Amino acid sequence: MLEIKPIFKALMRSKVGAVLLLLQIAITTAIVSNAAFIIYDRVTYLAQDTGYDEENVFSFAILTFGKDRDLMQQTELDETFIRNLPGVIDAAAMSAVPLSGSGSATGFTLKPQPEISKRARAAYIQGDEHVLNTLGLTLLEGRNFTSDEVVVTESAREVPNVVVVTKTFIDELFPEGNGLGQTIYMGDLPAKVIGIVESVSGPWLKDSRPKNIVFIPLMKAMKAQNFVVRTESGAREEIMKNIESELLQQYPDRVIDWLTAFDKSKDEYNAGDILMMRMLIVLIAVLVGVTALGIFGLTLFNISKRTKQIGTRRALGARKSAIIRYFLIENSMISLVGLVIGCFAAHTLGQLLMQHYEIPVLPIGYIIGTALSVFVMSWLAVIGPAKRAADISPSIATRSI
Amino acid sequence: MFTHYLDLSWRSFKRTPLVSILMVLAIAIGIGVTMTSLSVYHMMSMDPIPSKSQQLFHPQLKTMDEGINWWTSNDMPTQLTYQDAVNLQKAEVPAKKSISMRSGFSVHLGDGSIKPFMSQARFINADFFSMFQLEFVFGDSWSLAQEHNATPVLVIDSQLNDKLFAGTNSVGKQLYLDDKAFLIVGVIKQWTTHIKYYDLNNGAFNETENIYMPFPLVEANQYENWGNTNGWKHESIRTFEEKIRSEHVWLQFWVELPTRDAKKDYGEFLLAYMQEQQKIGRFNRKELDFALHNVTEWMEFNNVVSEDNKVMVALSFMFLAVCLANILGLLLAKFLRRAPEIGVRRALGASKTQVFYQHLVEVSLLGLFGGLLGILVAQLGLWGVRITRDYYENLATMDITMLLAAPAIAIVACLVAGLYPAWLVCRTNPAVYLKSQ
Amino acid sequence: MLTMNNIGKIYQTEMVQTHALRDFNLQVNEGEFIAVTGPSGSGKTTFLNIAGMLEPFSTGQYLLDGVDVGKLNDNQRADLRNQKIGFIFQGFNLIPDLNLYENVEVPLRYRGIKASERKRRIEQCLEQVGLASRAKHLPQQLSGGQQQRVAIARALAGEPRFLLADEPTGNLDSLMARQVMELLEQINRDGATIVMVTHDAELARRAPRNIQVVDGKLADFTLYQGAPTANAHVLEGV
Repeated sequence: MLEIKPIFKALMRSKVGAVLLLLQIAITTAIVSNAAFIIYDRVTYLAQDTGYDEENVFSFAILTFGKDRDLMQQTELDETFIRNLPGVIDAAAMSAVPLSGSGSATGFTLKPQPEISKRARAAYIQGDEHVLNTLGLTLLEGRNFTSDEVVVTESAREVPNVVVVTKTFIDELFPEGNGLGQTIYMGDLPAKVIGIVESVSGPWLKDSRPKNIVFIPLMKAMKAQNFVVRTESGAREEIMKNIESELLQQYPDRVIDWLTAFDKSKDEYNAGDILMMRMLIVLIAVLVGVTALGIFGLTLFNISKRTKQIGTRRALGARKSAIIRYFLIENSMISLVGLVIGCFAAHTLGQLLMQHYEIPVLPIGYIIGTALSVFVMSWLAVIGPAKRAADISPSIATRSI
Repeated sequence: MFTHYLDLSWRSFKRTPLVSILMVLAIAIGIGVTMTSLSVYHMMSMDPIPSKSQQLFHPQLKTMDEGINWWTSNDMPTQLTYQDAVNLQKAEVPAKKSISMRSGFSVHLGDGSIKPFMSQARFINADFFSMFQLEFVFGDSWSLAQEHNATPVLVIDSQLNDKLFAGTNSVGKQLYLDDKAFLIVGVIKQWTTHIKYYDLNNGAFNETENIYMPFPLVEANQYENWGNTNGWKHESIRTFEEKIRSEHVWLQFWVELPTRDAKKDYGEFLLAYMQEQQKIGRFNRKELDFALHNVTEWMEFNNVVSEDNKVMVALSFMFLAVCLANILGLLLAKFLRRAPEIGVRRALGASKTQVFYQHLVEVSLLGLFGGLLGILVAQLGLWGVRITRDYYENLATMDITMLLAAPAIAIVACLVAGLYPAWLVCRTNPAVYLKSQ
Repeated sequence: MLTMNNIGKIYQTEMVQTHALRDFNLQVNEGEFIAVTGPSGSGKTTFLNIAGMLEPFSTGQYLLDGVDVGKLNDNQRADLRNQKIGFIFQGFNLIPDLNLYENVEVPLRYRGIKASERKRRIEQCLEQVGLASRAKHLPQQLSGGQQQRVAIARALAGEPRFLLADEPTGNLDSLMARQVMELLEQINRDGATIVMVTHDAELARRAPRNIQVVDGKLADFTLYQGAPTANAHVLEGV
């Protein structure tokens, strides 16, 4: 390590090149660590378990305009028809479809409003006793609705008095875990919690309470009615292809639309995140490439400038390994300074992003990890040119250029 | 002299093709990445109606009772209650104004001639067409009387007209929405706006509706809104009557205020209106508050440009900086190698200024090449964006501004990177290089 | 034509000050042909660089054609250099990417001369040095002597009244050196003032006036002073 001082002196004589390299390394570290963290954040978000068998569930909507049929009756006919299709495990009409980005939510309370009491936000899904099975949900406690408990109404005057809820939701209202059997209120309407299901995602993955859902046993005549269908593994595609014509055959005065597979629906909801993730991955890849090329090029340039000097050193007895070491140490010195600056820059950028956007704090591990990777990359970029320098013939020293 | 410098630059480019191509590639990649995110940003933040964006205003009223907060940045709902929307519409204020609400129907011709399909509709007042500069291809808007009486009439856009009537004049024909027949009174030219600025509640880049109908039909036929309905107090909205009497917000409202004074007057009118409403027990709060946002402010308020996109733009510009640092290094190497030649030129009478200028022309040429190639890279990037998200179909494109901006940014960036090397080479002592060793 | 009064040039490095020239006084008259000799490191080249305004001087006064060079800015110096001075270097210093025609064109470009006039002058100068037929060749396709003749043509193209030559024959064999020297003598006869730095004693002897620089000072060994030829004017019709 005796060489550090002379290398440092040599560096000080060609400051600009060193500063440029240092800047590149610093900015690269700052960008890559932040981008990598955002990517990680998105990957975790995108890979989250929604709790559904996304591959085998799909949804669609029926918009009925014909007046010659009773809407409620037709909905039940359709349900039965779909449930009997080969390959279908279960199907149900629902007021809102999970993962779709569209639905209703409200605050549920421990006491009837307008009394003030503990409140928890939840999406609610109305449907009959087939809803849980259609979504493939496992009951953790209590029981499902019975068909008698399902309120079928035209007037919207009758309301059910039992609900099934997700665990996250009920634990928010009853942190001690004694939610089963308790009564909660939707406005001034009481409902008894008769079942608790595993926590699954509601209509909005980006909700403040994405897994708070209340299932309400209510069937309401709707001009536009959502349906969810769960099929046997592999049967979904075929069923989705035919469902429109088959339903229209049953009754033609209506429109079938928004036919979407659950996984597709989730992807659509998350398209922005997927896009951001891909763009960042491309950015990181290109950035690292450009920086590596920059280091490569600058080292080559430095070597070409010092060809004669290197030749002289070789003539004076320097080993090849000494020449390689010289360039590696030189590069490491620049990189280390760049990385230190880069770490601070990364931290500052992370703070800035966090202040202005909804991005969590950049963990220090990301900065250090990135710094190490950039360091390794800079070595890889420099080792080729350094080897080339070591191959410079000592005879160069005796020749004039 | 400029053409001479261009000629010299081109020769210099050819002399060290590898370095030159590397530099152009570095610029092209930097510009390509930057332009990809900048183009999307540009399309998202572009003024969708430049001649009117400062005149069309969306009001917000603080309807909540004292002590209740809304989640928006200015603590006010982004939509209006039915009562307020209708009252504001009926108020005798000398300004064009329109309520606006989205819904949707099964569309057919009533005779089984076409397969029914779903189409979205917008309920508005007649002023809406001129406020948003919608031109009629056939017919015209409905009359005020028709609007007032909730006559079953509608206006369709040319896209729907093409689909149903092969583009012929369909005025006077009937269209079925669900089970009801409506008379077509006008066909508007396709509304081409890539930002759905007039209704930012459910996605800013969705397509415009194909059908436009008089707002009074909503109450007459009890049509449901397709969009957000938000409330702040406990009240039942299970029936339509309950909903239109409630404090739930679910309607958009636009008013055209061409002058500063008109805006001021309208603000005073809104305050007076809220005071009036307080007498009947609404607006139960100490301080009345309202807001009037014009189109650009409204887009800003509703965060039309996503955070992700802003982060991307910032990161891409930092990336461009890295590319520039690279180019700076390469330029330094290239220019300094040429110092002997510059010494000769200086001896032959070139001034420092001329040498400096010559090198700036050279870096500009590199910038131009890089910028042009960068457009191709950006096209590739935008294509990638489009296939990832078809929602961005109309946004991930480069308009003429962006096509011109690409080489402009590239040239400016290269000039910035080239300043130091050019300065360095022009101030080197020529005498040093003239004496051959 | 050229007057230097008490010119001094100091190179400053971290440790030491080096006096490259001190109290340097010289008067060059119109139409003279002067050979400057002196040992290596004596300040010959520094003198030539200052005379050609390639380097600033530290003290003293330098008048070129009555113009006080010390008071000019870079652009003015560049213009003056371009109009009055022609350089000939030991290493020829032709620009490798430019062909002969373009090399000769360089000073004319900087003077902002019209294309047609440039063409006339370039052809004339190349003709004078006997290389008109090779106008499209690149420098590396020529021999050293030919390259130096191109360099001379380039120096002449601007019709300077003052030629500064730094070891013009240093890289040439004796035959070619003689040819170049004869060309310089011809140019001098045609009216240009020439200052030539050389360490070739034989070459120096051919010049009418010899001066020697030793340790940054001038020692004048004029053989026969004065009596410059009468046609001491701008090289016309060269």
